[in-house]
Amino acid sequence: MWPGLFLQTLITGLSIGGIYALMAVGYSLVFSVLNFSNFAHGAVIMLGAYVGLALAAKLSLGFGIVLAGSIAGAGIIAVLNEKLAYSSLRRRKAPSLYLMISAMGCAVFLENLVYATIGSRFYAFPEFFGRQVISIGGSSVSLLDVGAFLFALVAILGLHLFINRTRTGIAIRAGVSDMTMCSLMGVDLDRLIAIVFLLAGGFAGVAGVFLGIKYLVYPTMGWVTNKAYIAAVIGGLGSLPGALAGGLILGVVETFVSSYISSVMRDVFSFSLLIAFLVWRPNGLWGTDSEEKV
Amino acid sequence: MDYILSIVILACINMIAVLGLSIFTGFTGLFSLGHAAFVGVGAYTSAILTYYYYVPFPLALAAGAAAAGLVSLIIGIPTLRAKLRSDYFAIAILGFGEAMRVVLENLEITNGARGLPGIDNFTTFPIVLACLALGVFFARNFLRSRWGAACIAIREDPIAAEMAGVRLFRTRLLSLVVSAVYCGLSGGLLAHFLSFIQPVMFTLVQSTQLLAAVIAGGMGSLSGPLIASFVFIGLPEALRVAQMWRLVAYGLLLVLIMVYRPQGLMGYSELSSFFRRKDNPGGRMQP
Amino acid sequence: MKTPGKALLSVKGLTRDFGGIRAVDSFSFDVHEDSITGIIGPNGAGKTTVFNLVTGIYRPTAGSIFFEGEEMAGLRPDKIVRKGIARTFQNIRLFNRRTCLDNVLTPLLQRERCSFPGALFGTPGARRLERELHGRAIELLSALGLGKYASWQANTLPYGLQRKLEIARALATEPKLLLLDEPAAGMNPEETRALATLVGEVRQKFNVTILLIEHHMDLVMNICSPIIVMNFGALLAAGTPDEVRENPEVVSAYLGKGKKTNERTSG
Repeated sequence: MWPGLFLQTLITGLSIGGIYALMAVGYSLVFSVLNFSNFAHGAVIMLGAYVGLALAAKLSLGFGIVLAGSIAGAGIIAVLNEKLAYSSLRRRKAPSLYLMISAMGCAVFLENLVYATIGSRFYAFPEFFGRQVISIGGSSVSLLDVGAFLFALVAILGLHLFINRTRTGIAIRAGVSDMTMCSLMGVDLDRLIAIVFLLAGGFAGVAGVFLGIKYLVYPTMGWVTNKAYIAAVIGGLGSLPGALAGGLILGVVETFVSSYISSVMRDVFSFSLLIAFLVWRPNGLWGTDSEEKV
Repeated sequence: MDYILSIVILACINMIAVLGLSIFTGFTGLFSLGHAAFVGVGAYTSAILTYYYYVPFPLALAAGAAAAGLVSLIIGIPTLRAKLRSDYFAIAILGFGEAMRVVLENLEITNGARGLPGIDNFTTFPIVLACLALGVFFARNFLRSRWGAACIAIREDPIAAEMAGVRLFRTRLLSLVVSAVYCGLSGGLLAHFLSFIQPVMFTLVQSTQLLAAVIAGGMGSLSGPLIASFVFIGLPEALRVAQMWRLVAYGLLLVLIMVYRPQGLMGYSELSSFFRRKDNPGGRMQP
Repeated sequence: MKTPGKALLSVKGLTRDFGGIRAVDSFSFDVHEDSITGIIGPNGAGKTTVFNLVTGIYRPTAGSIFFEGEEMAGLRPDKIVRKGIARTFQNIRLFNRRTCLDNVLTPLLQRERCSFPGALFGTPGARRLERELHGRAIELLSALGLGKYASWQANTLPYGLQRKLEIARALATEPKLLLLDEPAAGMNPEETRALATLVGEVRQKFNVTILLIEHHMDLVMNICSPIIVMNFGALLAAGTPDEVRENPEVVSAYLGKGKKTNERTSG
């Protein structure tokens, strides 16, 4: 019986970890380019879920289209977020405190807007995957869990290749090290940043849909102290492999705590983990932290 | 008339907490969405003391404020070290605030999520006014002092501040404790005004309201946030706006202010300066 | 009693790595009391990093920093300031939104033993101290010609005066050693000459040893002795202006082959 539970827990942990990884990628991506924690990212995840929900429930569209719709919707929202709330601050080289306040403002605004208009009711996605399970090593795992894990793996790998192999990707990485140099060399910084946010938003959309299918859709599902940020910090803000690893680690460890100790302790544990990392290992396991030049 | 008076009292109680957060965020430049937790600690501590132990009101108020100050050390000491990233600290104290609510909901002595009813109605308008006046007095003196100058230096440029002899960790911690004490006092007054407190009154919602008042009023100003907080309490009450729409407004306000007028209403100057110096040869304050 | 020639600052084998890059490489030099010592070198030679190491912003990877015989490496910046080392920054770091007066007042305040309750209650003692320090701040500003700008917001000052304000603020910490990081950056020849005079005056009036980083060769050659040359994080040469000027390695690495240094006499 014991090995069975272990395997089950591990697989469940990996699948939820995959979702966390998808959520964390958006944070890491923006952090790696702008060196700032985009606290509004959670709201974008949430909105992605709602967009998907609308497509699925109201228009009864299939899973593929729902996913595509969320990706597009969340991507656009993320780009708008940047253009409206951050770009003018960035251009004036405003202190990071201002960016943070703006980001928090967005998060509070969006979350409560949904709360006030759509309501606090928890919504469920229609059953896309049914109760289909497949058998892995004797344990039954839901198709959704497997799908989420594989999707996360492939998508993040794809993103990593994009950043490292394509011209745009390399330009993004170059933007990391020296923004002024980039603009001097004729790289359109605004366009580059828009692409970054589009990508981050796309991932947020996917994460929102998976999260919504696995659990439920509600206004505070993306709130900033939720798993996305914790996973990103553990893996190391600014590192994409870190986001993947952080998400998986968090998912697995958390599920083990939930299974073997108690599910109430799960959230307390995750949050304590976050604090521990922020205090003792702020760069996470793989993170880069561009220190201020003195 | 009574209704208007009670709104004024509530506004003044809020202003005391805003004074505290103004010192921490407006003058030391540290972003916090967790200060409602300190209000809660002050509220519960003082309420428990008067309710169960019949401690005299002034003593209970002081104890509440002191408790809030001590509790702030729990989050302050591990997180305010020298190589601080402000976004990490923001998350930490935000989480701390939420954790505080969970704690309050799960302790026996606080009566859990049901809340603590039947608190004596000790808070009166003169008392609140006196506390507010003292609060402003001490805040102004603090900011003129060596420690206030250190706080402001940190806000402007932590590295340059160190080169001017400022001890980063100690000053940040002091700023946090002072702001927590103010919030704790505010909480104690609140508890004995409403006669009933619940953990859900001391969450992110209230922290956001406090921060919005500081930002809208203007960082680096005491009078600005005081005015803003008065408006933030008075106006929604008068217009009977539902709480969730208030938050929508606060969130939007924070973004708009950062984008269009980061110095807020008074930004880095005081109401008194409008009446004092008519000549400011050095040019306008820039955000 | 000052002993000219005594090493006030003695740096031995100073090394600092950033990831894979060795920014400072076994760097050793002495700064003698009462001197105006100059550090020159191409961009990226590690000059500012040395300043950051001496003032405690970075910890050395290896090596020692002796100031008045005491080891400074690893101490917190504010502790080092209290021991008597002050600096200005390449990219001017003023308390921008504070007045010039407050910029200079801040370090003065930090040096005082103030009573917290006294300050909080605004006791006569506290008020007296405030007035006294206020006066000292005005004196300091006036000594650098900034008296009339006391109530101006720091970042509204013209660039050259902002640099002077930074120097005034550094002097408010009553240093024995003053580190100036490219004080003449962005200045035209006339301003540079005025700065040269100012540096000399500051050394006189405030009894302070000066160590400065500069790219303006005329400034360095005229007022500094000795001059230390850095390249790739290491010591390339050190000596009097003439010695450095004639050193073939220095010439090829930095001053450029066949390039004559501007030998204007100091103003």
